[in-house]
Amino acid sequence: MRRLLITLIVLAGLVVPAMAKNVDLSTVPARQSVQLTIYNSEDLTLVRETRVVTFKKGVNPLQFSWANTLIDPTSVELKFLTSPAKLEVLDTTYPHDKPQMLYWNVQSEIDGEATIQITYFTSGISWSADYVCISDKDEKQMGFEGFVRVYNNSGEQYENAQIRLVVGTINLVEKIAQLARVPMKDVEGMERDGKLKMLRSQAALLPMAADDSVAIPFGMATTRPQEEKEIIKEGLSEYFIYTVEGTESIENGWSKRMRSFEGKTVPFAIQYRYRPQEYGDRLVRMYLLTNDKESKLGTTPLPNGVVRVYRENGRDGLSYLTQQTIKYIPIGDKIELNLGVDPNVIFELVKLRSSRDNIWLQLNGMDVFRRVDDGAGEIEVNSAVVGWDDHSLYTQRIRNYTTSPVDVEVRRSWDGDMIFRSSLKPILFDFRTVQFQTTVAPASKANLLFELVQHQGRNAKQNHIVLEDIEVKP
Amino acid sequence: MRNGLWIGAAAVVVVLGCLPATGWGRIKLITLPVRERVEIQLDNPDATLVEEERIVPLVKGENQVDFSWASTQIDPGSIVFRVIGPADGKALDVKVLSVSYPPNEAALVWAVGASDSGSARVRISYLLGNLTKSFAYRAVASNDESKLSFSQYMRLQNFANEEFGSTGLWAGFGKEFSKPIGINETKEMLVTRFAQVPITKTYSCNPQEFDYIDRPQNKLRVPMHYVLKNDKANAMGTAALPPGKVRIFIEGAGKEPEKSTAFLGEDWGKFTPIDDEMKLYLGVAQDISVKRTIDKNNRQRVAGNLNNREIVLKYEIENFKDQEVTLDLSENLKFVRNELAGDTGRDVQWELGQETTLGQPDKEKSTFEQLVFHVKLPKKDKDGKAEKVIHKLHLIIKNEW
Repeated sequence: MRRLLITLIVLAGLVVPAMAKNVDLSTVPARQSVQLTIYNSEDLTLVRETRVVTFKKGVNPLQFSWANTLIDPTSVELKFLTSPAKLEVLDTTYPHDKPQMLYWNVQSEIDGEATIQITYFTSGISWSADYVCISDKDEKQMGFEGFVRVYNNSGEQYENAQIRLVVGTINLVEKIAQLARVPMKDVEGMERDGKLKMLRSQAALLPMAADDSVAIPFGMATTRPQEEKEIIKEGLSEYFIYTVEGTESIENGWSKRMRSFEGKTVPFAIQYRYRPQEYGDRLVRMYLLTNDKESKLGTTPLPNGVVRVYRENGRDGLSYLTQQTIKYIPIGDKIELNLGVDPNVIFELVKLRSSRDNIWLQLNGMDVFRRVDDGAGEIEVNSAVVGWDDHSLYTQRIRNYTTSPVDVEVRRSWDGDMIFRSSLKPILFDFRTVQFQTTVAPASKANLLFELVQHQGRNAKQNHIVLEDIEVKP
Repeated sequence: MRNGLWIGAAAVVVVLGCLPATGWGRIKLITLPVRERVEIQLDNPDATLVEEERIVPLVKGENQVDFSWASTQIDPGSIVFRVIGPADGKALDVKVLSVSYPPNEAALVWAVGASDSGSARVRISYLLGNLTKSFAYRAVASNDESKLSFSQYMRLQNFANEEFGSTGLWAGFGKEFSKPIGINETKEMLVTRFAQVPITKTYSCNPQEFDYIDRPQNKLRVPMHYVLKNDKANAMGTAALPPGKVRIFIEGAGKEPEKSTAFLGEDWGKFTPIDDEMKLYLGVAQDISVKRTIDKNNRQRVAGNLNNREIVLKYEIENFKDQEVTLDLSENLKFVRNELAGDTGRDVQWELGQETTLGQPDKEKSTFEQLVFHVKLPKKDKDGKAEKVIHKLHLIIKNEW
């Protein structure tokens, strides 16, 4: 530790649990090991540290303090890893005049050393994921690297800590950063409300269950200096745990980024998409790949993070394509990277014609309706149009100035009672959205014709789109 | 790096020896590998990627490579460190083990593992802010306004607070440049020049788009444009043209036309994909008069409140120029309907009436609600008088209420 912000003090020579007010003699047992389990969905880290303490028979007072750190005082727990049957915590005292400190009175039946484990929650330590993708020049395969970055702003330096990162969302009823500032005199009320009990039981679930999976002893760096550390991934319940090989020291205020996985030749496809709801009113170019073994990935779900995409530009360098934030991607799920508009693919919707028919009038406010072209004679002046069909003929023009064929998918939505006429083999994505696809050869153009018939006024009976497979002519 | 040292006094610092990363303010022995090569990639419209290559001496085991960028806008998340290979041919296995970021500093420290002592060629890429590009064009029309010499320039502005020596620059198309760029310098480079580009000088009127120049006399504004098409057939079409300011000149007459070149004005050229037209506004034509009047505006009841509307628009056009010109006459039919019958919010269903003298609309340039006609106008006669050409546009607007 660079700063002794956390101290464990054995008050020696006292036979009663009462402490001297101003004059004490203490010893400071050093940390033997420390393990950090860091959650990225909450500002929460479970710290588990071990120390060796020499006990004498009788009552042994222990003092634990955490000045200037972000530890939740309600979460601090003491456990005896050796001689648990002969050691017992009699009581825990939070002195009113010394914040960020507590005393344990430990009843010992032994004279000698015992290994104790102290666990607590702290805030201020976090981690994030990010990804770097580098496509080859031909845009067939890419290198896909995942990284994890650990930030330590907890106020404490944890030396040679084993680091475990939890992927997934947990439920907390209160923020640890807030609890770290709660005076113990206010804790009683919270206990009564059951909040702390729930907090402990929920947040403690994961790390405790993962105990058996820790294979690397604390404090031991297991990698050779020139070797990259492996990040071991394992599933646990609904969560995933990354364990950084060996141990790491991250000073307070610093952050550290390590590679968590790498796919060297990840195949991907390119698709152009028009989905205004997702990508805005523009045709965007997408890289599509899958987080699975066939794609040289699939060793881990991908936590939320920023993806930066580059491409080898064929001139011994990279081109920067885009960066975007992805949400959690489970193993087997798709990874969709939006590269934005391609200036070499032009996408235009042109309305070619507009007309109306099937016009109905209501006679003189009565419940009598007459179609205009029904040939039943002249319709009274005092009648009004109450229903009609709007016909609109469109062409979806796509011009491809790239050197490869482009696969284009179009989704367009309309409200109302509609008929979509075309020979484009469309499908309904939902009740109000039509989807169709085409491939445009290099250096060529496509004109995708379709006609929309919108039933208006009393002609509208539904709110849906009916597809009609009819060849539409300009 | 030269005098600026803007990427820190030690832009890349290799700490020799296997020092543990225990503190930022440690005593260090450092080497300063210089840039071997720099490339600035300007092909992304929103970001500038800098790639620099350096030869980094490494010792066997773990090395620290420090990188700092004081007073520059490097996006730290975008920094990519790639080992290209050994610098001296000696087999060397080099890996990035981790990256550490010190607090409150624009810096990072790579922990790099090397299988042996030797030098590695590494490439560091990052997005750099305030190093921006824009495009500008210079168009010189031939004296008869039939051809254009069209030059495209890339303008690079370096407010990134970093100096670059001889640097490769690429806009994503056109040729690659190798230029030094100093701090706060702006550098303009000729990307490409299209010679002998055929152009059309157009005279247009469209009351919806260009309005009237004299409303009481019903005279329409007649703007002039040079229109060039970005395709192979017109000596262009190599890439889409990014937006930029176009300065327009015209050559003088005589044997040395370039000596009497005159400035015609400037316009913003819009993004022009291949096969599209770029229209360059030249100002309002003073020698062409177009008077637009409404000859007929009759409502015809079909049934109940459903009606058709018959409209005849009359144009009296005079060309006071010494040469024949073609006028592009456009009418937006929704605008016409709204002008004469009010806005119903519905599309216009229309037919051309028999009184129309303008011929059929241009299919390429017309849309479902905007009609474009081309009207040939004779030059002034020998007595200097302009012939008044009269045309009518007869419209039946159907199914309105």
